[in-house]
Amino acid sequence: MVHYFCNQQNDFVEYVSFCGGIRPENEERVWFPLDHKVCEKELRPHFGSKSGKKQKSLLQKLTGSKAKEQYQLYLIMAPVLIHIFIFCYVPLYGILIAFQNYAPGAPFLAFDGSVQWVGLKWFREFITGRYFWRLMRNTVVMSLMNLVLGFPLPIIFALLLNEVKFPRYKKFVQTASYLPHCLSVVVVAGMVLSFVDTQGIINNVRAAVGMAPISFSVDPDYFWAIYTITSIWKSFGWNSILYLSAMSSIDICLYEAARLDGANRFKQMLYVTLPGILPTISLMLIFAVGGILSSNTELILLLYNPATYEKADVIGTYVYRDGLQGGRFSFGSAVGVFTNVINFALVYGANLFARKFGGNSVW
Amino acid sequence: MAANPAVLSAEAHRRHRSGIREGSRVVDAVIILITAVICFITLYPMLYVLFMSLSSVEHVLAMDVYFYPKGFQLNSYRLICADNAMWKAYGNTLIYTASATVLQIVTCCLGAYPLTVSYLKGRKILTLFILIPMYFGGGMIPTYILVSKLGLYNTMWAIIIPSAVSIWNMILVRTYFAGLPDAMRESAFIDGANHFQVLFRIYLPLSKPILAVIAIYAIVGMWNSWFSAQIYLPNADLHPLQMYLQRVLVQQTVDLQKLTFQEYEEAVEKMFSAMQLKYSMIIFTTLPIIFSYPFFQKYFIKGIMVGSLKG
Repeated sequence: MVHYFCNQQNDFVEYVSFCGGIRPENEERVWFPLDHKVCEKELRPHFGSKSGKKQKSLLQKLTGSKAKEQYQLYLIMAPVLIHIFIFCYVPLYGILIAFQNYAPGAPFLAFDGSVQWVGLKWFREFITGRYFWRLMRNTVVMSLMNLVLGFPLPIIFALLLNEVKFPRYKKFVQTASYLPHCLSVVVVAGMVLSFVDTQGIINNVRAAVGMAPISFSVDPDYFWAIYTITSIWKSFGWNSILYLSAMSSIDICLYEAARLDGANRFKQMLYVTLPGILPTISLMLIFAVGGILSSNTELILLLYNPATYEKADVIGTYVYRDGLQGGRFSFGSAVGVFTNVINFALVYGANLFARKFGGNSVW
Repeated sequence: MAANPAVLSAEAHRRHRSGIREGSRVVDAVIILITAVICFITLYPMLYVLFMSLSSVEHVLAMDVYFYPKGFQLNSYRLICADNAMWKAYGNTLIYTASATVLQIVTCCLGAYPLTVSYLKGRKILTLFILIPMYFGGGMIPTYILVSKLGLYNTMWAIIIPSAVSIWNMILVRTYFAGLPDAMRESAFIDGANHFQVLFRIYLPLSKPILAVIAIYAIVGMWNSWFSAQIYLPNADLHPLQMYLQRVLVQQTVDLQKLTFQEYEEAVEKMFSAMQLKYSMIIFTTLPIIFSYPFFQKYFIKGIMVGSLKG
């Protein structure tokens, strides 16, 4: 057992043990052996002993009482913890208004008896309301279209890109593919709306081949397609980065072995690359399933208009319009809670399924 | 130390690889063709907007601009530059972006550091406390009520304060901090430092790469955000650029024609020049992101890598 002391520049000393299998990574450092007995006794009194954690280290002795250190750490964290408490936990607590007849301006929970508890009234009102089935249909259909078309696309794109042999071209395509991710939703929606306008480029091309113009933006029948294409265009390149990074960590030897067994390029892709990224795919799928009831509200808010509500209105936009703008706070929160509960159940179910059949789960 | 056998063999493998996976040239050509088409689909809408904004009015009217600007001119840019409301919105966005970025970097470091100290009491509970909001949230309406009650409604703080902490970014920093050797902290303590000094004088200088990642996420995120302004800021003087764009491009409540000169008299012409002005507006407001994109993109990928390590 040999111990080394590393003296990097001047400030700090790094203590490394070779017997633990840790190698010095930076070769510019100067390494020199130390008397290991000195090391063990003075620097890490618990080194090598099994009850190591319980003993006080030299470090703790030097910095004085442990309480003072804990106090410093809590002080460092305090602003962040307070912020998270206020902006994440107080709204969570504010969910209570979903079960109340909340009047704007009142506290979330008053103890003077002014709170009118109404139980599940708002949930009932939502589920039996005249828009419920329309909202559910639009939300689920658009999410499923996004899932069925938008989920495999980044994987296929990553698989193709992985086969490209020219590094510079590969990098260019990849960089170009996630450029739309950096554009704001407003810009993307504005572009799409002007393209599908009666005077826009799409109708212009249609006119060139002799087809009648269609006012896509006010025709509800086209909304699902416009939304799906737009959101896939914006996100596929970005989503493929994760798969590409998973592919780059696949062991080269596996390809070599497959090659020796006579696998051609397509088979290598099918039997080496794809299984290699399966854990990533399964994780992403679990999260995608969990988002089925929460479609991209921001994009829809920008793309839709009263003429297309029939096919475009989803739960998120309804909560915004009716709950927030309409001032029906309790009702809106109830709809939000309803969505969150179902989404969580879906993630939980998908996770259970993945754990049972694939072995790759989030928790 | 110089000749590391592991590194050498990996190098040999890599050189070998092109030989191993050699397929037919037809397949290569097909793959390149498909990726080129995908690339074209991704870039063309942006390029089309750019070409239209640079073309002369006659060509925009005739709608015959497809692959390059015809009759190059910059008039539309000159027109939108004369719009004071846009400059106001530009300035607001700069304020929001700068303050949120600085605040996020500070809070990420403050929140992440104690979580990497192994002997912090209650570390697991604190981590849970930070992770829970990533899965459960109060939703739009309770948050709106909270912001109103704090008196932030219709002030700039309604945008800045809620975005001051990003839990996701904090976890990225925590993952990075956890990768720095503990021994470094211990040796600093031997030299008499306290936790504040360790964080600000040792950890921070070593964490520049991850802080760059976070800064870029924050900048792009804030530059592009509009929804919180839509909810919290009825006062148009406080609107960020994206809200202004939303009024121009989507709601079309801002009449760009009032900016145009006398020469465009006919109604149809007005409509088309309005379209060109919209396109110029898109290019003009996206320029900062596009120009910095080549510098950003390597950090973007780095951030995803660090994030995926955690998962």
